[in-house]
Amino acid sequence: MRPSPADTLRNIGAVARREFVWRGRTRTFRLTTALLVLVGIGLALAPVIIRFIDRGSAGDRIEVFVGDSQPGVDVPLALGLLLNAPIPGLPANGAGASAYRVEVAATIEAGRADVIDGSAAALLAVDRAPAGDLAFTLYSKDGILSRNNLIIQQAVSSIAIQDRLQRAGLSPGDQAALFAPPAFVLEPADPNAATNGPTSGEAYVSSFAIGFALSILLFMAIILYAQWVAFSVAEEKNSRVMEVVLAAATPFQLLSGKVVGVGGLALVQYLIVLVPSAIALVLQDRIAALIFGGPAMVGLPQGLSLALLAVFGVMFVLGFTLYAVLYAGAASLVSRQEDVNQIVAPLTLLSVGGYMVASYAGTGLIPIDSPLVIVLSFIPFFSPYLMLTRLSQGAASPVDALVSILLLVIFIPIALWVAARLYRSGVLLYGQRPTPRTLLRALRGG
Amino acid sequence: MTLVLDGLTKRFGPITALDGVSFSVERGQVFGFLGANGAGKTTTMRIVLDILRPDGGTVTWNGIPATDVPRRTWGYLPEERGLYPRLEVLEQLVFFASLYAIPRREAAARAREWLARFRIPDYERRRAEELSKGNQQKVQLIAAILHEPEVVIMDEPFVGLDPVNVSLLKEAFEEMRQRGTTLVFSTHQMEMVEELCEAVAIIDRGKLVLGGPIRDVKRASGRQIVRLGVEGNAELPWLGDLEGVTVVRPGRDFVELDVARGHDPQEVLGAAIARGERVTQFLIADPSIEQIFIERVGRAPSEEHHLAEAP
Repeated sequence: MRPSPADTLRNIGAVARREFVWRGRTRTFRLTTALLVLVGIGLALAPVIIRFIDRGSAGDRIEVFVGDSQPGVDVPLALGLLLNAPIPGLPANGAGASAYRVEVAATIEAGRADVIDGSAAALLAVDRAPAGDLAFTLYSKDGILSRNNLIIQQAVSSIAIQDRLQRAGLSPGDQAALFAPPAFVLEPADPNAATNGPTSGEAYVSSFAIGFALSILLFMAIILYAQWVAFSVAEEKNSRVMEVVLAAATPFQLLSGKVVGVGGLALVQYLIVLVPSAIALVLQDRIAALIFGGPAMVGLPQGLSLALLAVFGVMFVLGFTLYAVLYAGAASLVSRQEDVNQIVAPLTLLSVGGYMVASYAGTGLIPIDSPLVIVLSFIPFFSPYLMLTRLSQGAASPVDALVSILLLVIFIPIALWVAARLYRSGVLLYGQRPTPRTLLRALRGG
Repeated sequence: MTLVLDGLTKRFGPITALDGVSFSVERGQVFGFLGANGAGKTTTMRIVLDILRPDGGTVTWNGIPATDVPRRTWGYLPEERGLYPRLEVLEQLVFFASLYAIPRREAAARAREWLARFRIPDYERRRAEELSKGNQQKVQLIAAILHEPEVVIMDEPFVGLDPVNVSLLKEAFEEMRQRGTTLVFSTHQMEMVEELCEAVAIIDRGKLVLGGPIRDVKRASGRQIVRLGVEGNAELPWLGDLEGVTVVRPGRDFVELDVARGHDPQEVLGAAIARGERVTQFLIADPSIEQIFIERVGRAPSEEHHLAEAP
C-alpha cells in the first residue's frame, strides 16, 4: 500500500487522537497527574517545608562543663560560634536561626542527667591534662560517627589550638590574623571556552544536583511513557482489535499515531506537573520570606539555565520517541500484556545503562571528560542522558549538543522502519514465542 | 470491475498456507469462500486487504494491484472480532470511520442510523465490553461497512449469531447487494451459501479445489441428485442393483440418490415402475454445495464440529 501523504497524516492523526483522548480521560491518568503535581510541588518546596516543620524546635542543645580547667578561651561562646558557622560551599542556615544552642552545665551529673532525659543532645566536659593541654570528654547517646559528635570533635580541636596559642602568649588579634584565609581565586584559562566548569563551590554543587535531577527525570519519563506505548500495543493485540485497525491503516501509520498520541499526552502530563513545580521552585525564597520573614530572592536555582531546560525538552521528546517506537515494535511480538516487560527488557537495560553512566559521570565516579562518556553522549540510545549531564556540568559545547541531537533525529526514522517491520508481522503472531529467527524474518519483510 | 486473485502463495516457515490460489469475484456479486478450518481462507482475506504480503501471486481490483487501491475500497469483518473493550460504541465507530476519511459528524450520523437499523439504538454510549457477543458482532459489522466500501470481506459473519440476528444480517446483505456492493464471505454453513451466494470458491489445504458461479459449479460436478418416494416402505434394496446409482440419503418418505455421469435419471424411474412401486415423488436436482464440497474435499466442511469416531 502506498498511501498518499495526506492519508498517512490523517490516519496518524486519527490514531493519535484516540490514544490521547481516551487515555487522558481515564481515572488512572487524572489521579496520577494530580498526585504527581502534589509530589512535584512538595519536592520543589522541600527546604521550606522542612524549615516550617522545624520552626518550633530551637536546634540541638549542647551543655558545657568547664569546672576548674581555666581555659584561655570562653569555651561555650567559642563552641557556639564554631558549631553554627556556615560550611563553605553549602547554603548558609537561613534567617539567622542557630542550629545549636550552647549552655553551661552546673555540674557534670546535672549535665549528664539532661542528656539522658533528652533535654540536651550532649555534654562536653572540659578538663586540663597534667601536660597542660585541654582535655575533653563528650557525654552523648550517639556513637562516635554521629554528625553532632563529629562536628563537636572538630570544634574542640580548634578550641584547644586557640588555648595553646593563648598560653604561648599570642593575643586574640594576632590569632585572627594567623588564621585568616589567603586570597584565592579560580579563573578559567580561556574565559570564552564553552566547556568551563563551575568556578565556585556553590555553583559546583548546584550544577551537580541539577544534572543529576534532570537525568533522573529524563530516565523516569522515557521509561514510563514508552511503557504506555508498549502496553497500548499489547492491549490492542489482546483485544484483537488490531486486525480491524490494520485493515484501515498501515502498520507505520498505526505505530506513529500511537507514539504521537501517547507522547503528546505524556508531554501534557509532564507540563502539568513541571510548571507548578518550577513555579514553586522559583518562588521558594519568596514563599519562605512570606512564612518566616526576611529578604526574598526570585530566580532560577544556580546552574539551571533556559538553554539547559530547552535541551532537556528536546532530549525528552527525541529520547522518548526513539524508545517508544522500539518498545511498540517489541510489544507487538507478544500476545499478552504480562509478557510486555519481558520483551522490552533489553531496551530497558540500554536505557538503564545510559542513565547509570550519566549519573556516575555526574557525581564524578567516571570523569566527565573520559572517552566513554564523550563517545556515549553521541550514540542515540545513550545520548539523551549523557549529553544532558555533560551540558549541565559545562563539559560540552553547543555544537556537541547539536550533533548529538542531529544523530538522534537521523536515527529515529531507522528505528521507526525496524519497528514497523516488526509490527507488521508481529501483530498477527499469537501464542508464539518470538525467536531470533522470527525476528529476522519479520525484518526481512513480514 | 472484478476482484482477481492470481496464483497467491504464502508460506509461514515450513508450512505452505496458500499454494497458487486463483479465482475472481465479479463486481456486485455475493461470493462464498468455503473451506475447512485451516484451509487458508483467513490468510487469503488478509492478503487481499494487504494485512499480509504474499510470497507469490497478485491481487487486483479492476486491474489495479490491491496494494495500490485505496484502503477505503475494502470493509473487513475479521473472524477474531475485536473492539476496544473500554471505548463507547459510537466512539469506536467514529474512530474506525475516521481512518477512512469520513468526517466525524457524518460518521456519527451514519453510525446512529446503522445502530437503529440493527435495533440497538440505545447502545451508542455503552462500552463495548458491556455488550453481548451478538451485539458486539453487529457493532463490528457496522464498523466494517460504515465507510460504504466497494467490497466487504467477512470472515465467518454468521458464527455466534442467534436466528433473529442471522436474518437481520441477511437483510443487510441484500440491501448492500442492491446498492452494488461486492460481498465476499467465508462460512461453514452451506445452507447460507445456497441461499445467498451467486458464486463460490472452495479451498482445501491452501489449494483451490473449484470455483465459479454456483450453477456452473453444480453442473460441472456432473452429478445428478434424484429424490424418489414410493408408497409404503421406502427401503428399496433393489436400488443397489442399478448401475451408477448410489443412495446418498436414505429416509422414510423418500431416498436421495446420486446418479453418476453417463447415466440417465429416468432409468431409476423406469426401474421403480417396472418393479411395481407406486411412485409418489420423483425429482431431478443439482447436487447441493455441501455434497460437492464433500466429494471434492473428502469431508464435510463442518466436520470439525463433530466428535471424531471413537477408537
